[in-house]
Amino acid sequence: MSLQITDLRKRFGETQALDGITFGVEPGQVFGFLGANGAGKTTTMRIVLDILRADSGTVTWQGRPSTNLPRRTFGYLPEERGLYPRMQVLEQLVFFAGLYGVPRKAAAAEVRGWLARFRVPEYADRRAEELSKGNQQKIQFIAAVLHDPDVLIMDEPFSGLDPVNVALLKAAFLEMRERGKTLIFSTHQMETVEELCDAVAIIDAGRLVANGPTADVKRASGKRVVRLGVAGDPELAWLAELDGVRVGRSGRDYSEVEVVPPRDPETILHAAIEHGERVTRFEIADPSLEQVFVDLVGRQAAPDEERTLADLSGNGRA
Amino acid sequence: MRVRVANVVTIARREYLVRARTRSFKAATIFLVVAAVLVTLAPLAVRWLDRDSSAKVGVHVSTTLAFDPIARLDTTINLPATPGGKGPFTFSTVADPTAGRDAVAKGDLSALLEVARGASGDLAFTIVSKDGPTLRIPTVLRQGSSVLATTDRLLRGGYPADKLDALGVPPSVSVVGPTPPKPGDQPKDFAGEIGSVLTGQALVIFLFMAIILYGQWVAMSVAEEKSSRVMEIVLNAASPFELLAGKVLGVGSLGLTQYAMAIVPAVIALLLQDRIASLVLGETAASGAPAASGLTPALLLAFAVLFVLGFLLYAVLYAAAGSLVSRIEDINSVVAPMTIVGMAGYLIAVYTSSGLIPADAGWVVVLSYVPFVSPYLMLSRFAAGLAGPLDLAIASGLLVIAIIVCLWVAARIYAAGVLTYGQKPSARALFTAAFARRG
Repeated sequence: MSLQITDLRKRFGETQALDGITFGVEPGQVFGFLGANGAGKTTTMRIVLDILRADSGTVTWQGRPSTNLPRRTFGYLPEERGLYPRMQVLEQLVFFAGLYGVPRKAAAAEVRGWLARFRVPEYADRRAEELSKGNQQKIQFIAAVLHDPDVLIMDEPFSGLDPVNVALLKAAFLEMRERGKTLIFSTHQMETVEELCDAVAIIDAGRLVANGPTADVKRASGKRVVRLGVAGDPELAWLAELDGVRVGRSGRDYSEVEVVPPRDPETILHAAIEHGERVTRFEIADPSLEQVFVDLVGRQAAPDEERTLADLSGNGRA
Repeated sequence: MRVRVANVVTIARREYLVRARTRSFKAATIFLVVAAVLVTLAPLAVRWLDRDSSAKVGVHVSTTLAFDPIARLDTTINLPATPGGKGPFTFSTVADPTAGRDAVAKGDLSALLEVARGASGDLAFTIVSKDGPTLRIPTVLRQGSSVLATTDRLLRGGYPADKLDALGVPPSVSVVGPTPPKPGDQPKDFAGEIGSVLTGQALVIFLFMAIILYGQWVAMSVAEEKSSRVMEIVLNAASPFELLAGKVLGVGSLGLTQYAMAIVPAVIALLLQDRIASLVLGETAASGAPAASGLTPALLLAFAVLFVLGFLLYAVLYAAAGSLVSRIEDINSVVAPMTIVGMAGYLIAVYTSSGLIPADAGWVVVLSYVPFVSPYLMLSRFAAGLAGPLDLAIASGLLVIAIIVCLWVAARIYAAGVLTYGQKPSARALFTAAFARRG
C-alpha cells in the first residue's frame, strides 16, 4: 500500500470535519475521492499535503510520514483556483517549478511542452488575466505537474471545463498514469469517475462510507440493475407492483429497474414471460456510481462551500 | 520547522521583479525622485525668488539729528542674510508724513517710522503699519528705534561720532558645559546644533514614511495573492513561514531600491546646493544646507540599522494583517493598529526633537527602548546626541527580540489566515490562530 491514510481526525471548532478516515491508494492508480458538500474532501487533501495538520492519525507515502516527505512528492491542483493575474504564463510556471527546485531552463522547456500538448503554445507570453477561465485551469494543471510529482492530488479538476477541455485533461490524466504517477481527484461527475478511476473512496460527514476498486464499490451495495424491453408494452406498468423492485427510469425502448436483495434479477425475466409478452431486451448490470453515491450519502453531489477563519484557526502548517 | 532559504529567495525575487515592473511602481519612483530633488532645492528657489524683494519703509524725521538715521538703521538692523546680499528692508526718507501714511494705507510702503523729539529731549517714535505691534516689521522697527534713540543720547552726551560703527561689533561670547569637554568631542556651535536637530527630524520623517508605505505594500501583496487564490498552489511548495519571509524581504528590498533612488539624487542636490547657489544667485559663500552638516557616518549607520529593524518588525505584522482580509479594500482597517502605533512613535519623536517635549523626560527615554516606537525615538535621541552607541545597541537588541516574537506570532496568524475566505476575523479567532497547539 503506497499512500496510506490511517484514522485521520480533525476538528474545526464545534465541527468534527474528519472522524477516523482510513483508506489506501496503490501506486499508479487513478483514484476517485468522492463526497457531498463539506464531507471533508478538501480537508483530507490538505492534510495529505501537510498544508493542514490533523488532530490525530497518520498519512504515509511508501512508508514515510507525509510530514517528512520532500514537498515535490506531491502535485496539487486546489479547488480554489488562482494564478498571479499580471504575471506571464511562462514566467509564473517557472516560478512555481522553482519552488520545488526545478532549474529555470528545464522548467521553461517542460512548460512549452505542456502548452503544446494542450494546444495553446501561444499562451507562454500572455498574462494570466488575459486567459479564459478554462484556459487558466489548464495552466494550473501544468503548475501541478511541472515538478514531476509522484502523487497528483486534484480538487475538482473538471469543474468549469467545456467538453473539449475535459477530453484534453482526461488524456493528460491517462498519460500521467502511463508515466507511473498516482492520481487522486475529487469530482461530482460520477461518469468521469466510472470512466477513469481504478478505485474510489466515498466519505460523508467526515466518515468513510465506501472504499475499494470502483467495480467492487458498485457491487457491494448488493443491488443490481435490470434493463428490460418488451415489445408492445412501453409502460411496463406491472413492474411497479413487484416486491423488491424500484423503477428507476422508464423509457420508450426499455425501462431500468433497481433490484433489491433478496429478489433475484432473473425473476423479473420470468415475470415478463409470465405476462406473455415478447422480451426484446434483458440486461443485468451493476448500479451506476451515481446511484451508489446517492444511496450511501443520501443526496446528490454538489460543489463545496467556503470555510471561515473560525473553522480553520490554529491548524495551519507553520 | 525547516526553512528552505532557496524558497525564500525565489519568493523574494518574484515579489521584487513583478512589482518593480508595474507601471505604478515606475510612476511612483519617478515622482519620488523629482519630488525629493525639488524639496531639497526648495530653499534655494525661495531665496532666488526673494532675491530682490525687501520691505519698503519710509522714515520721516521732524527734528534735527547729528547722524544719518537711515545709514544707522542699515548698519544695525538691516544686515543682509548672506554676505554681499541685500537686507530685508529698503529705507527711504519721507518728507510729508501725511503722504507717508497714505502710502502705507495704499500698500506702497510696508511701514512708516516717524521720528520726533519729545519734551524730555529724548527721541519719540511712531510706527505706522497695517501689522499688529507683535508682528515682524513693527518688532524690528522697535529695535531700530532704540538703536536710533541710543545713538542720539550718546552723541548728545559727547560720544565721538567716528566711533559709532565700532559700537555695533558683537562681543565675544562662549557657551560651555559644566564639565570640561572630553578629548575628541567636537565643539558645539549653533549652526551645527540646528543642523543635527534638522537632520534628526528629517531622518525620522523618512523612516516613518518608508515603514508606512512599504509596510502597506507587504499587506497589499499578501492580500492580492489571497484574493487571486494563488496562495494554495504556493502553499503546497513553500511553508507559510517561507512565503512570509520571502514577501517581507522582496518588498523590503524593492522599497530600499526605490528609497535609494530618491535619496541619492536628493543628497547630491543637497551637497551641490552651495555651488548651485553661487551659480544662480551669484553669491560667493552660500549659507544654505545646514541639514547636511549633521549627517555623520555614525548617524547614517544608526539610521540604516533602525530602518532595517523597524521595517522588518512592522512588515511581518503588516503581512499577518494582510493575510486576514479577502479583499484588498479591507486592508486599511486591519493595518490601522500598526499605523496608529507607528504614528504615535513618530509624533513623539518629532515633538521631542523640536523641543515641544523635553528630550530627557523619563518616559521619552524609556519609550526610546521600546520596540515599535524605538526606531523613531532612538533615532531622534541619537541624532540630538542624547543617546550613544550603547543605547542604540540595547534598542536594536530589543527590536531583534520583538521581531522574532512577532515573526512567530505572525507566521501562525498567516498560516491560518491565508486559507480563510469570507468572515472578518474576530480577536478571539486571531488569538486561537496564533497560540493554538501545533500537531
